[in-house]
Order: sequence, then structure tokens, then C-alpha cells
Amino acid sequence: MTDVVSWLPLAAVAIPAAAVPLILASGARPTVREAWTGLATLGTFGAVAAMVHTAGTETTGLGSIAGLGLALRADAAGLLFALLASTLWIATAVYSVGYVRGLDERGQTRFFAAFAASIAATMGVALAADLLTLFVFYELLTLATYPLVAHAGDDAARAAGRKYLAYTLGGGVLAFGGILLVGALAGTLGFVPGGVAGLATADPTLARAAFGLLVAGFGVKAAIVPLHAWLPAAMVAPTPVSGLLHAVAVVKSGAFAVTRSVLYVFGPETAGDLGVALPLAVAAALTMVLAGVVGLRQDSLKRGLAYSTVSQLSYIVLGVALLTPVAAFGALLHVVAHAFMKITLFFAAGLIYVETGEKYVSDLAGVGRRLPATMAAFAVAAAGLVGFPLVAGFVSKFHLLLGAAASPHPAFVAAFLVAGLLKLLYFWPIVYAAFFGSRERASPASRHPFAPPHGHGHDRSTGGLGGAGVDAGPTAAGGPTGADRTGDPATVADGGYADRAGRVDRADGVGTAGWEYRTPTTESSAFLLVPVLFTVGVAVVLGVVPTALPFWELAETAVAEVFG
Amino acid sequence: MTAGDLLPMLVALPLLAAVVPLLVARRSRRLARAATVAVLAAQVALATAVARLVLVEGPIGYVVGAIPAAFGIGLLADRLAVAMAVLVAVAALGAFLGDRSPRTGPELALWLLLVAGLTGVVVTADVFNLYVFLEISGLAAYALVASARGADAALAGLHYLLVGTVGATLYLLGVGYAFVATGTLAMADLAPALAAAGHGSTLVVAAFVLMAVGLGVKLALFPLHAWKPDAYAAAPPAVAAVLAALGSTVAGYALVRVTFDVFTVAFLEAVPTVRTLLLAVAAASVVAGGLLALRETDVRRLLAYSSVSQFGLVGLGIALATPLAVTGALVGLVGHAVAKGGLFVAAGTFARDYGARTVDDYAGLAARTPATGAAVAVLAVSLVGLPPTVGFASKWYLALGAVEAGSWAVAAVVVASTLLSLAYAGRVVERLYLGTATGDGADTATADGRRDGRDAVGEPGTAPGSVPSGEPATTDGGRPFRSPLVVAAVAAALVVGLGLASTALADWFAPVVEGWL
Repeated sequence: MTDVVSWLPLAAVAIPAAAVPLILASGARPTVREAWTGLATLGTFGAVAAMVHTAGTETTGLGSIAGLGLALRADAAGLLFALLASTLWIATAVYSVGYVRGLDERGQTRFFAAFAASIAATMGVALAADLLTLFVFYELLTLATYPLVAHAGDDAARAAGRKYLAYTLGGGVLAFGGILLVGALAGTLGFVPGGVAGLATADPTLARAAFGLLVAGFGVKAAIVPLHAWLPAAMVAPTPVSGLLHAVAVVKSGAFAVTRSVLYVFGPETAGDLGVALPLAVAAALTMVLAGVVGLRQDSLKRGLAYSTVSQLSYIVLGVALLTPVAAFGALLHVVAHAFMKITLFFAAGLIYVETGEKYVSDLAGVGRRLPATMAAFAVAAAGLVGFPLVAGFVSKFHLLLGAAASPHPAFVAAFLVAGLLKLLYFWPIVYAAFFGSRERASPASRHPFAPPHGHGHDRSTGGLGGAGVDAGPTAAGGPTGADRTGDPATVADGGYADRAGRVDRADGVGTAGWEYRTPTTESSAFLLVPVLFTVGVAVVLGVVPTALPFWELAETAVAEVFG
Repeated sequence: MTAGDLLPMLVALPLLAAVVPLLVARRSRRLARAATVAVLAAQVALATAVARLVLVEGPIGYVVGAIPAAFGIGLLADRLAVAMAVLVAVAALGAFLGDRSPRTGPELALWLLLVAGLTGVVVTADVFNLYVFLEISGLAAYALVASARGADAALAGLHYLLVGTVGATLYLLGVGYAFVATGTLAMADLAPALAAAGHGSTLVVAAFVLMAVGLGVKLALFPLHAWKPDAYAAAPPAVAAVLAALGSTVAGYALVRVTFDVFTVAFLEAVPTVRTLLLAVAAASVVAGGLLALRETDVRRLLAYSSVSQFGLVGLGIALATPLAVTGALVGLVGHAVAKGGLFVAAGTFARDYGARTVDDYAGLAARTPATGAAVAVLAVSLVGLPPTVGFASKWYLALGAVEAGSWAVAAVVVASTLLSLAYAGRVVERLYLGTATGDGADTATADGRRDGRDAVGEPGTAPGSVPSGEPATTDGGRPFRSPLVVAAVAAALVVGLGLASTALADWFAPVVEGWL
């Protein structure tokens, strides 16, 4: 593919960026403001789509900072990520409108403006042609997403925002150190499929240090344990934020940057020679399993999804660290597959919150009656995450498993299988309880066997390993009823179960007397439901006919470029 | 008037014109202020013209009074000097416009004297002349700091006076030793003469150390930094802005000149102890400044400690003495001047209009002044050193220079400084945007924000209790003032613009840097 100078890469970044002042200026008229967002989503998608099937690789030079050139280049891997992000932005934009209006959120203008800025930065990360450009947009992404994380403005949001900044900017400093070393060792920062030549001949200790710094720095956003703690804390953000940014854009930027570092800066051969890929793979495998275990214990649905994200991201990192074509292909596919599935789950969680006010798994027994289409989508997406066929996750996981089996270290297959099992153990009870449990009657189906209801024991917000607390597990026979959650955790000191009969649902106006039946056309607003169905639909298409969408071909091209 | 004649005008214009506001102020203060602005604007134009000349013709020299430079006063405008001259002129204009308070005739005259002194330091080619201009600017600065009403300002001014005079005297001693060793005071002649006298000789080393320590006082390198927070916090807002932007910047320029033009890099190589000491002091400044800034609650003191840290970075660049590192130091000088000046202008606005002086006072201010808040955020990003600002560019050059020189400790210090500045600058920006404003519903009641009672740096022109409405106070015929916001916004745009143009900036300095190294 020859390089073609074009304004399209710049357009993909500039259109969302240009939308920011327009959105800020039209804050007083919500319809106009939403229109700007809508136009920007379509424009960005158009710019990216225009680059997907062309013969040449579009590039745009962006000048230079400190003697280093900045440029955008739409190669296969970059287009894969950019296409993913721009497609999902359309869905999220529609969903956000429904969400913020449904909850009558304050600061909506700032919300949409920061969203557009974050997408602009994500496009920049995706289409960056070299480490410096990637770093510039990577840091801009942090700055643009910060107002979204701290959106609620209360103490918890501010603390989460501070943690987010501390981790991500700290990671940025580490990455900066790594970029510095690469620049000094290799003389160039540009991405070269298969690795930059200068690094192969450089001093191994320094090269390893550079690799470590780069991966540690970018690994913060890729949520590799122990650098992941910001992600569950960032769940205080509104759900569209959690969905797009923290399940798709921000964390995928981290995983993408790690991919670029391993495959396009160091390259499979150099990374293998230096022996740095194996520690990374081990860290990823550990993350997959540990996050899966901790995630099992989360009663807050969003936190559970956050830990699932941490785990799934390491699928990608592990796939890349295995340094084989099939595993890398699986990793790239998983970037896409996980994005569609996870965003469906987050959308569903947000929809549940808007419609019913529920945030906790233990309160969701029987909600399938109230939100049939939503929970069906949830079920399908969860199945995909676990790896059931016919949903996107199966295809990517299949390739990851094959790649692991064919790699020099087949033991990693076990990591994938264990992680999948842990996910099954978390999601299946949720789905089962939603459809077969009921809120007004105590039944085994209504209780999650692993995630203790939030009202019991101490606050689970630390999310640490082995979070203890009074466990209302399957062995506690005599006490728990379907109504054994307290509305106010602060009143629980001795593990006693206060009745919450007096509590009234926000939207339903119904107490603990079970959910009312709704049909898909009446369960929620179209703004909220249609994006959910869209993303789960794409996930199914990716699972049934994966080659029909451009992602397959882009991933194939990228792998062919890197591995030759 | 030939091209070369423009050069002395750079110094003569503000120097002579300082009389004008003094006289005009008897008639009308507004006219005097307008005259000052006119002079400052003319200075900007003049500096730009000289810069263009240097770009076309190369370095320009001038000898005052046609006395041979070896005995007389020589001026030299090379690329570095004119860049600094433009910076001095622009920053002085910006800082002046950034505060709307009326000023007395003597204050206006002192402003122009300050600019004259700073510009003189920048274009002089004679080490003793540098001392003279350093003292001119210093005296003007001490007086301006003390011009705020109140005991704080007087004390801070006195402290600054004492410390600054000691520093300048040390510098003078160093100049004396250099003269004893070589018999000349002109920079161009000193370089070979000092080499001939022997870089390793005690006299020469003592000369350098004294000059460096003297300038180090002006730069506020650790542990000679204690005067800075007091001076910047107690001075009137505009004075704090101009001093923050230019005071230590010009001293940094002087240190660069003395180190590379007078003593040359050969001296640093001949006496490695000096280089090590300089590295150590600079590194200590970086870390100490950052740590002290973390603990500060008063915003202007916080920014002052931040300056200590940033000038430590400049010192690191000088001490490393490689082309990349020195380029980083020079770009850092320029970038920091713009960023810090803008931040002080904004801080002055917040103090004056909302009575906000501590970090906690800044809570939620961005909601009330969105544009200024945004400017502060961008300037803070440059301070931290994130791309695409000029702060990032300077740190990149420095860090890369350190890595290529094999100085891992320095590279680590540069990278760590980013973390430290993240912590203290991030705190301010976070408060600005996400704090809950004390006294909600304060759109109408800015009378709360005035707090004249506790306003230690009171302004002569505003009458207490004269602001019933929600608009910021106006002191001149009812026009609402936007100039501080404009200045801050321009500074913010500049730090990004200079960052994106940093390659060009580095190329501008390249001939000078390569000439040294």
C-alpha cells in the first residue's frame, strides 16, 4: 500500500474537534446542540469509511514539535480502531441524548462537548503515524475525558477523577520516558510494521527498559494489573461515558498503544529476542484471571462490568504478547468484538438505571419482565463475552486460543479458558435471575451465588482482592428473602437484614411487589433502546458472518503487514 | 538612521521615555497610562524590527559613543538576544495591560525603567554593563514590588532588595575577578582572554562561581529562592506578572551568556566540579521547588515555587551543555515566561474580582469566568509539560539531551518534574473546575467577592463598597475591562502556538547554540 497525502485523516480528527466549540456555543438550545453532535458523528464516520476501502494509505502531515514530525496515517490497524470508535460514537450519541434527558442531568453541554473532544483525541490515537503523535493524542484523551469522569461533581466523582488523572497522567509520564529512550536508541519514532530497525541493534538493557516503560505507561489505560484501579473507580461517570470511553475508547487506546509498541515499534522478532514479551504475557494472563475473580464479587453492575473489561482487555494484550500471527489477528478482532459486546452491556445497565433506578445485581431479579428486549440483548452480549458461538466474542476468542496453542507457550490457553469460565459464573446468574427470578418472592434464582448484595457487610467500593463481608451466599438458608436488601447501607452494622418494603421504584412507582410487564415497544425510550439493539446486532453479525464487515479484512491486512 | 542604530534605541527608548509619564501624570493619569502603553507598544515594534534585521543580516553590533568595545559599552544583537528582547517587550506590554488598576506617575516611570533595564541586560555585550542594567531593572523591581500598599509589600520589597543587592554584588565581584584576570570587560574579548589566563586557575573559577551565584540569586535557584514567593505574592498583580515572566528569565539568559559566551563550554570541561555543582543545584531546585509548591495554599506563592522548579530545569540544560539540552533550556526560558506571565495575570484577575487568593478560594471559579478558566487550564498544561504546548517541547529537548549525554539521573529528574507539576498544577485546575463555589447563587452577589476589608493589596482607585452589581469592578468611566482575559487568552494561545512551532523556535536558536558548542 503506497502512502497518499490526503486530508481525510485530518478530517477524522478535526470534525469532532470542530464540534466542540459549536456544542459549547449552542448550550442554550439543546436541539441545536444535539444536532451538532449528530452531524459530527456522521461526518467522522464518513471520513473514516472513505478511507477503509481505498488502495493507498492516507497520510496527513501535522507539522512538528521539538524537531519531531507529527503525522496521521490511516494504516490497517489504525483504520480498524478508528472505524470502531466512529461507529460506536454514533450509537453512543443517540444513547446519550436519551440518557441525559431521561435523568435530567446537569451540565449536559459540557458533557457533549467533552465527549466530542474525547472522540477527536481517540481518532488521533487511532490514526497516529508515530509514537509522538500517539502520545500527544493519548494525553489529550486523558484531559478530554476527565470532565466526563468527574461529571457528577460530588465528592465521589471528584475523587474518582483525581484517581483517574493520577493513574493516567502518571502512566503518561512513564510512556514519555519510554518514548524518549526509543527516540534516543532508534533515532526515529515512526511506526514500522514489524518493528523499527534501530531497536534490533540497540543495547538490550536499554531496549528492555524502553519496552518496560512504554508498556507500563500505556498499560495504565489498558488496565493491566496492578495499574487498573482507576477503571472501577471511574464507573461513577454517567453510563454513556462508561460505555464508550471506558469500555471502548480510553481502554482500547491503551490496548491499541500497547499493540503499536509491541508490533510496530519493537516488532515481533525484536520483542522475542529481547525476551520482554513473556513477562507481558504473564502479566496479562494474571490480569485476566484476577480481574475475573474480583469481578465475581461485585454487586454493583457497572463495577462488575468494569472488572470484566479489565479482564477482556488483557485478552488483547495477551494475544499481542504471544507474537504469533493468529494470536495477533485474534487480538485485533477482539478489540472490535469486545467493544460491541461491552458497550451493549453498559448501555443495558444504563437503561436499567434510567428506567428502574436499579444499579445493583441483587436488585435485578425478574427485571426481564420489565425490560425484555434490553435483558435479551444483555444476555446475548454476555454470552458473546463468555465465548458462545454465533456472537462476536467466539470468533476472536477462537483465534486467540488457536494462536496461544500454536505459540511457544501453550499454557496460556488455560488462562483464556479460566477467564471465560469466571465470566460465565458472573453473568449467567444475572441473566437467569433477570428472567427466571422474581423480586417479590424469595427464590434461589433471585440470588447471585457469588456477588453479595451490597447492603451487607462493609462497602465494596474498594474492590480489592478478596473483599470480605457478610456473605449472603447460597449457604445462608434461613434469612434472606427476595426483599432482604436495605435501601440504606449505612444502617447495616451487624449484618441484620432490614426490610425494604417501604421503598418505591423511581419509574415504576411499584414497591417490592414485582416488576410490571412491558413489551419491547413500551419498555423504554427509543433513544435508549435502539442503540442497544444496534450494537448487539452488530455483535451477532460479527459472530455469524464476520467477514461481512470491514474489520476482518483490516485485521488480516494489519497482521500481514506486521508478520510478513 | 542605519540598521545598527536601531539597536541602542531598544534601550534608549524606554530609558528616556520614562520621564514622560512622570510629567504627564501631573496633568492626567489616564494620559500617562496611555503614554506608557504607547511606549511599550513601540518597544515591541522596535524589538520585532531589530529581530527581522538580525534574521536578514546576521548579528548586529553597536558600540556606544564610538569608544572601542574593549573599554566602552558594546551592544550585541544575535538571534538569542533579539528573541529575548521581543519576549521582554511583549511580556511587559501584556503584563501591563493585564491589570487595570490606575497607577501613579512614578509607578509608570518605574515600569519603563524596568523594561529598559531588562532589555539592556539582554542586548549588552559587556559584563559590567550587564551588572549596571541588572541593577537598574532590580531597583525598579524592588520599588514596584513595594508599591502595593501594606506592610506585606513593604517587607517583601525590602527582602527582595537585600537579597537582590547581595546577589548583584556577588556578580559584580565575579566581574571584578574576571577583569583582574584579563584586563577587559567585553564579552567577545573575555572569552579568549580567560582561556589564555587558564580556565583551571583559581581566579577564573572564582570569577565564574561568583557570577553564577549572583545570577543564581536572581534566578532563585535553591537554596537562594526564598525571596521569590514573598515578592510575587505581595506585589501588585501586574508587577507580579511582569517579574514572574521576565525577572528570572532575563537572569537565566544572563547565565547562559556568561557560561557559553564568556567562559565557554571549554571552561565547563576543564573544571568538571563546576558542572557537577551546577547540575546538583539545578536538580535540587527542580525537586525542592516542586515539593514546596505542593504544600502551598496561596496560589501566587505556589506559582512562585513552580518557577523555582522550572528554572531548575533551565539550569539543568545549561549544565549539560549539549546542543539539545541548551536548546531545551532556551525554549524553556521563552515558554515559561509566557506561561507564568499569563498565569499571574489570571491570578491577579481572580484576586481582584473574586477575592480568590488560595487554592480553596478558586473553587468553582471556572463556572463564573469560563474563558479565563480555560486559559488557566491551557497554561497549566504547558507548565506541566504535556503536548502540544511549548512546555512539552522544552522538556523533550532537555530530556533527549540528557539521554544522549548519558545522564540518566537528569533525564529522570526532568520526567519526575512532570509528575510534581502535575500534582500542584492539577490541584489548582481541579479546584477551578470542579470545586463547589463558596457562596452559591453568587452570580448576583459579587459584593461578596470583593471583600475589600481583607484586601491587603488595596487599589487606590476603587472605593470600598462601590460595586452593587454582578459585573467586575470598573474603574475607568464604566467600561467593563476585558484586558486581563485577553492577555491570559493570548498567553494560552501562544504556549500552544509556540509548542507547535517549537521546531522553528529551536531552528531560530540553532546558529547561536552551534556557535557555542
